[in-house]
Amino acid sequence: MNRIQILLVTAGAAVVTGLWFAFTSPVDRLQGEFSRIVNIHAPIMWVAFLAFGVTALASIMWLIRKTPRWDRVGEASAELGVIFTAIGLFTGMVWGQAVWGRAWDWGDARLATTAVMFFVYLGYLALRRATPDPGMKARRSAILGVVAVIQVPLVYFSVYLFRTLHQTPSIRPDGATMPREMVVALLINFAAVTYLFFALLLARIEVARAEERLAGDPALAGDAVKPPRLTEVEDV
Amino acid sequence: MSFRHQALEIARVDLRVERRLGDVMRIVLPFAVVGLLVFPLALGVDLAAISRIGPAVFWALGILFGTQVALRQAAHDRPEKRDLYSLLGVDPAARFVGRSLSGSVLMTAFLVVLLVAMLVLYTPRLPDGWPWPLLLVLLLTAVGLTELGTLAGEVTSGLRNRTALASLIVAPLALPLVIGGSQTLESMAHDAGILPWLMLLVATDLALAVAGVALARPLEEASR
Repeated sequence: MNRIQILLVTAGAAVVTGLWFAFTSPVDRLQGEFSRIVNIHAPIMWVAFLAFGVTALASIMWLIRKTPRWDRVGEASAELGVIFTAIGLFTGMVWGQAVWGRAWDWGDARLATTAVMFFVYLGYLALRRATPDPGMKARRSAILGVVAVIQVPLVYFSVYLFRTLHQTPSIRPDGATMPREMVVALLINFAAVTYLFFALLLARIEVARAEERLAGDPALAGDAVKPPRLTEVEDV
Repeated sequence: MSFRHQALEIARVDLRVERRLGDVMRIVLPFAVVGLLVFPLALGVDLAAISRIGPAVFWALGILFGTQVALRQAAHDRPEKRDLYSLLGVDPAARFVGRSLSGSVLMTAFLVVLLVAMLVLYTPRLPDGWPWPLLLVLLLTAVGLTELGTLAGEVTSGLRNRTALASLIVAPLALPLVIGGSQTLESMAHDAGILPWLMLLVATDLALAVAGVALARPLEEASR
C-alpha cells in the first residue's frame, strides 16, 4: 500500500466512524431522525468553504512562485469544492423537504447564495477546460481563483445579512445550542470529513501529476516509425 | 505620461470607438428593452403583478445585458494592440483602470435608460425619495459590473468560446451587486436603513478594483 492508499483507507474509516456517531447520537425532538442529516451536511459545507479557500491560497502562491505544484493544488481543491458543494446542496435540500416541506425555499438566503457559488466554481473549471496551453491555463485560473473567493464570505455571512430560514451556527464561542452528545457527534464528523478532504486532495494532486507525465511523454502511436536518414536514402 | 493620463487616454479612446461602433446603445440596449417587453407578454394582463415584478425584472435584465456591455467587442484588444501598448510603455494597471472607467460610463448610461424604460412600461410603486439613492446604486453597480467584465474578458481572451465563458464567470460573481442593488430599494420601501447595502456595493467595487490593479500584470501576460 502506498502513502495515498493508506490515507484514503484511513479517511474512509474516519468517515464510517463519524457516521456511526451520527446514527447513534440523540435526535432533535421536533425534527426527529432527519436531524441526523446535519452531521453530514454541516461538515460537508465547511469543507466546501475550506476547498475554495485552499484554491484561492494556491492561486496566490502560483502568482508568486509560478510553480506547477500550486496550479495542481488549486485545480484539485476547486474540483473537490464543487463536488462537496453539490453534495452539501443535495443534503440541505433533503433536509429542507423533510423539515420545511419543500426542497428549495427562496426564503433561505444561504441556499440561494450557495447555488450561485457552485456556478462560480463551475465557471472556474470550465475556464481551465477551455484553455489548452498549460502555462496559460495556470495563469488564467490563478487570477480567477483569487477573484472568485469573494463569493465565499457572502455565502457564509448570508445568514446574518438577510432575514432567512437558515439557522445560524449551533456551536459558537459562547457555547453550543444542542446537547453534549450531539455536539460530540458533529465535531467527530467535522474532523472526519476534513481528513477525507485532505486525503482526496493529495490523491487528486497525484493524479494530476500523472496526467502531466503522460501529456509530456512523447511515446504515442507512430513514434516507433522513424523517417529514413539522408545517408540511407543515398545508399538506395 | 503619468498613470492618470494613461488611464484617461485609454478611457477616451474606448469611448470614441464605442461612439463609432455603437455596440451598447444600438444593439445591447434595444435587445434589453425587448426583454422588458417579453415579461408582461408572458405573464398576461395582470397589472398588479406586472407593477410588482418591475424592479426585479430590471435587475435581472440589467445584470444579464450589462454583462454583454462589459464584454463588448470594443473593449477587447487584439494581440497586435496589446503589443503596441506594451511597446509604448502603457502600465497594465492603467489599462485596467481606463477600461473600467469607460465601461462604467457606458454601463451607467445603459442602466439609466433601462430603468426609465422599466418605469414607463411597468409603473412600479417606488418608495418616497427613491431617485438619488437609486442613481447612486446604479453607479456603484455599473462600476462593479464593469470591473468584473474587464477581468473576465481578459482571462478568457483569445478562447474559442470567449463570450459564453466570460458570461458564465461574470453572472454568478455579480451576485453581491444584484443583492446590494435590489435590497436598497427593498429597504427603502420598509423604512429600513440602506447603508449596509451601499457598503456591500462599495466593498465589492473596492475589492474588485484592488484585485484588478494588483493582478493587472499577470492579466496582461495571461491574455497573450
